[in-house]
Order: sequence, then structure tokens, then C-alpha cells
Amino acid sequence: MNAHPGLCVRGLRKTFFGGTVQEKTVLNGVSFSLQSGEFAVLVGSNGAGKSTTINAVAGDLLVDEGQIFISELNVTSLPAYKRAHAIARVFQDPMKGTAAALSIYENLALADQRGRRRGLRLGLSKAKVDRFRASLSVLGLGLENRLKDHVSQLSGGQRQSLTLIMATLNEPQILLLDEHTAALDPRAAELVMKASLEAIRRSGAATLMVTHNMEHAVNYGDRLLMMHDGKIIFDLNSVAKAKTTAAELVERFHHVISDRMMFA
Amino acid sequence: MDFLNTYFNLVPVSLAQGTVYAFVGLGVMIPFRLLMLPDLTAEGSFPFGAAVAASAIAGGFGILPAMLFALLAGILAGGLTAIIHLFFKVTSLLAGIIVLTMLFSINIRVMGKPNTALFSFDTLFTALLGPAGGSPISQFAVLFVILCIICFTLLWFLHTELGLALRAVGANQVMASAQGLSTSWYVIVGIAIAGGFAATGGAIMAQYQSYADVNMGVGVLVIGLASTILGEAIVGRDTLFRQIFAPVVGAIIYFQAVALALSLGLRPSDLKLLTALFVLLALGLPILTERIRKRRSKLSQ
Ligand SMILES: Nc1ncnc2c1ncn2[C@@H]1O[C@H](COP(=O)(O)OP(=O)(O)OP(=O)(O)O)[C@@H](O)[C@H]1O
Ligand SMILES: [Mg+2]
Repeated sequence: MNAHPGLCVRGLRKTFFGGTVQEKTVLNGVSFSLQSGEFAVLVGSNGAGKSTTINAVAGDLLVDEGQIFISELNVTSLPAYKRAHAIARVFQDPMKGTAAALSIYENLALADQRGRRRGLRLGLSKAKVDRFRASLSVLGLGLENRLKDHVSQLSGGQRQSLTLIMATLNEPQILLLDEHTAALDPRAAELVMKASLEAIRRSGAATLMVTHNMEHAVNYGDRLLMMHDGKIIFDLNSVAKAKTTAAELVERFHHVISDRMMFA
Repeated sequence: MDFLNTYFNLVPVSLAQGTVYAFVGLGVMIPFRLLMLPDLTAEGSFPFGAAVAASAIAGGFGILPAMLFALLAGILAGGLTAIIHLFFKVTSLLAGIIVLTMLFSINIRVMGKPNTALFSFDTLFTALLGPAGGSPISQFAVLFVILCIICFTLLWFLHTELGLALRAVGANQVMASAQGLSTSWYVIVGIAIAGGFAATGGAIMAQYQSYADVNMGVGVLVIGLASTILGEAIVGRDTLFRQIFAPVVGAIIYFQAVALALSLGLRPSDLKLLTALFVLLALGLPILTERIRKRRSKLSQ
């Protein structure tokens, strides 16, 4: 693996409802960095701040403090659409990643140009069809024969699979997956996870994947980050991670939570 | 069957009127259906286009430049609505009301008075169809050809990378920005294009009736909406082609219905009420049928 820094996050802080009784610090100094090609899994209890971290990296949410660098470029103050050239993502909600009113073909064409300048060339072309078909056929869902169908006709799992293909169509530098199989039935979840692993390997992106599935957390990826109360409480490299089992991970979870109870 | 005679006499004129208002229909359909943002600016950009075109023609600028000024005026009006909506976080409906209210005063400033007559000037119709301005049927034919050219251009545009991006912003803003699209920019472009359509409709109307008046925008929005809904009921909206031609077909059919209603003895002043009721019925129909269906199934239990 080369030592090219894909994503570097330093001291992110975010407080919602600052200055009111509901004040809530959701990110409390989050720092980590991922090299390109590195695949990190992010775990943590509900409300730990995982989605907020993902949203901060993607630019959907601007942080109060801290910096975000993509390939050494400071993007901290850029809106999401200006970071999209480097970042592709799959949302927890299957409805968010695709445009229901457009066809599968049109959704893919949009993603194919992620972050690029759009012009007056036709958005769809013969050359693209073959490429899109080949990408979709990896899923084994038969979507490659339904290019003209509207995405609104697809099931949640099919939409999520399509979103994943869209995300990896033009080699992102950073891939963000936020519990992207959580809303799917077990079979579809396994399928999308398989396709994700394949896509991650192929794209060489720095990948951050959030999951609540401890089996996935220990089996996949080469880094393991755990978040709690807006902080990264531990960060295992691939060697340490290989020695960890799902049961141990659950154990550490409980440990953290009972600690919090004691100090509360 | 006296009323049929009256109706047949009205057919050519109402065909021509239908094609003029088809521009407004397109201007209403674009924000409403492609951007999913209801916009009322048409009510102000229609008379704005008329005022600008009439003043330019009366000021000796010539027909084409006058139409171009009107188009630009409409683009500005639509763009302003979008900017007020986006940057002051005002709903698109309220933003439109603010702009159309501003335009009422601006239109009087543009014309210097509440109306401008064009009887002694060359217009689109006298230039193309002779000094008398042509028969209603020839006016209809000319406008229909222009509309078809514009609709096919719009169809092409919506298939380009930019047009596809515009539709993505209307369909899902989260997805659109994740794909690198500035949603604000596309909303501004879309509503500006819609404003351009409504203003062009106004410019053509001013030349069609040979005068522009500040009050000529009252009720055009509902006509545009009625045309869109009626057209969609007739040609459907499951392809882009149908979606684009729906307001055109709808506007033409709408004015036939108006002609029929008038020949049946209805007062012209009742038309707005009927049109508004039609739009209400069309929008409320799904809810109404759902309620009736539920009640039926309850009764049958
Ligand atoms: N826009 C917001 N306004 C106010 N509070 C928010 C907002 N977004 C998130 N929060 C709060 O921040 C905290 C962290 O939320 P976040 O979604 O990042 O958790 P998470 O780790 O992704 O949890 P989960 O596993 O349940 O998805 C929660 O307490 C949530 O209520
Ligand atoms: Mg979350």
C-alpha cells in the first residue's frame, strides 16, 4: 500500500443547539486519517456521532472546529457538491442515493459524471450503455436488462445496490458507507456487502464503513475505529484487528457503556 | 343548436389564444413538475414580458430585439424568485408573490403608464402574416410551429448533461449534491427558464392583441396550471416528450372548452371561477376518490 494520505480529519467539533438548554456536543474532537486504498470500519453505539462524522466528511454538515483534508487539500469549508469529485457515498436510507423519478440509466449517467462539469452533450450514449450493463451485471440482480426502468420501480435492496454501483462507477478517492445494508433483508444485505467489498478492492478508495454488525466489523476491512460520545475511543490497525473477535468487541462495547454509567 | 354555431365561429380565435397561453403552461409546468417547486412568478412575468416587448416595439427597437428583451426580463424575474427562495429561505410560493407584486409597479415604470397600444406598429403577426396581422387560423399555425420548435429544443436540452442534472435536482436534492451538482444553481436556472417562457407568452400576447396592460397577468397562473393538468390527463406524463407537450395540448383544449362555455351563454367574468374550480377538482380528485372508496368498503363490510 502506498502512503498517500486519502483522508485526514483533525479535531472535528460540532455542537447542535449551542447556547441553549438543549446544547449537545456531537463531535468532541474527532481525529483520524485514512490512506488511499485503506478500508476502515467504524462502529459505536446509537448516537455516538458516526453519521455526523460521515456527514462532516461529505460536507453535508459544516463543523464548528477542526479540519478535513482530502489528498492534502483543505476542504473544511467547501459544500458537499464541491467535494463530490473526490467523495462517493451510500446512505443508510435507500431512498437518498438515487433519483426515483429518473431511469436506472439516467441515474448511472449522473453518477458517471460525479463532480465533473456538465455541458450540452447528450447525457446518454451508446458507449455508456455497455459500460453500465457490465457494471450492473456484477450484482446478479438482472438490473442490466432494466436500464430504461424508473428507479421508483425498484425495491429498497435493488436501489441500494444501484447506489453502490453508482458510487464506484468513476473511481472515488473516498468512499463513505453509512450502515448501507441496515435497511435490507439478510439476503440483500449479504449481496450488497459482497458487491461493496468487491468495489472497494477494485476502486482503491480510502473507505469508511459504518456498521452495527460486529461480524462484519471484525471480518472486513483493515482498520477498526470505535466511536463513543463524539470521540474515537479506539483505533485498531490490521494486526490488532486480526486478533479481535466479535465477542471481544461486544465486550469492549459494554465496558465503555458501563464506564459511562459509573461516571455519570 | 344555436350555441354550436357560435362555438364554431369561436374555434379559430380560441385555437390562437390556446397557443399563446401554451407558453405560460410551459412556464408553470417546469417548476411544478421538473423541479417539484411550485412557482407563482408567471402571474408577474407574463405582463412583464408584455410590457417590455410593447415598450421596445413602441420605442422602435424592432420585433426580434423586443422579444429578446422580454425573454431576458422573464429570466431575471424567475431568477429573482429563485434567489429570494434560496437565500432568504422563503417558500417558493411566497418568493413568487413578492416578485409579482414588485413587477406590478415595475411594469408601470417600464411602460410609463398602465398600458401601451401597438395598433400603429409592426408586430410578429403583421411582419409574418401581412399588414392585417393574418387570420386567426394562420396565427394559430405560426404559433404552433414556433411552439413545436421550442418544445423540441426543450426536449433536447432536458436530455443533455445539464438537463439531466436539472431533473436530478428536481427529483432528489441530496442525491444531486452528492453527485456534485449545485442544487441552488440548478433551481435558479430552472425557474429562470420558466420565467422566460411566461414572459415570452406575454410578449406574444401583447402583439396578438396589439396592446399591453398591467392587469393582463391576473389569473394566468391558474390558466397555466389548468392547461398543464388537463394536458397531462390527455397525453399523460410518463415520458419527457409527453410531459413537455402536455401543457401545449392542455392549453389548446382548455381554450376550446372556454369557447364552448362562452357560446353556452356563460359570462367571461365567470371563467376564472370555473378554471380555479377545475384546478381544485383536478388536484383534489385523488383524495376525493380515495375517501369515497374507503367509505364504500366500510359500507360493504
Ligand atoms: N441535525 C441535528 N440536529 C440536532 N441533533 C443532531 C443532528 N444530527 C444529529 N444529532 C444528534 O447527534 C447525535 C449523534 O447522531 P449521529 O446520527 O451521528 O449518531 P450515529 O452514531 O450515527 O448513531 P446511529 O448508530 O443511531 O446511526 C445524536 O444524539 C443526534 O440526536
Ligand atoms: Mg447513523
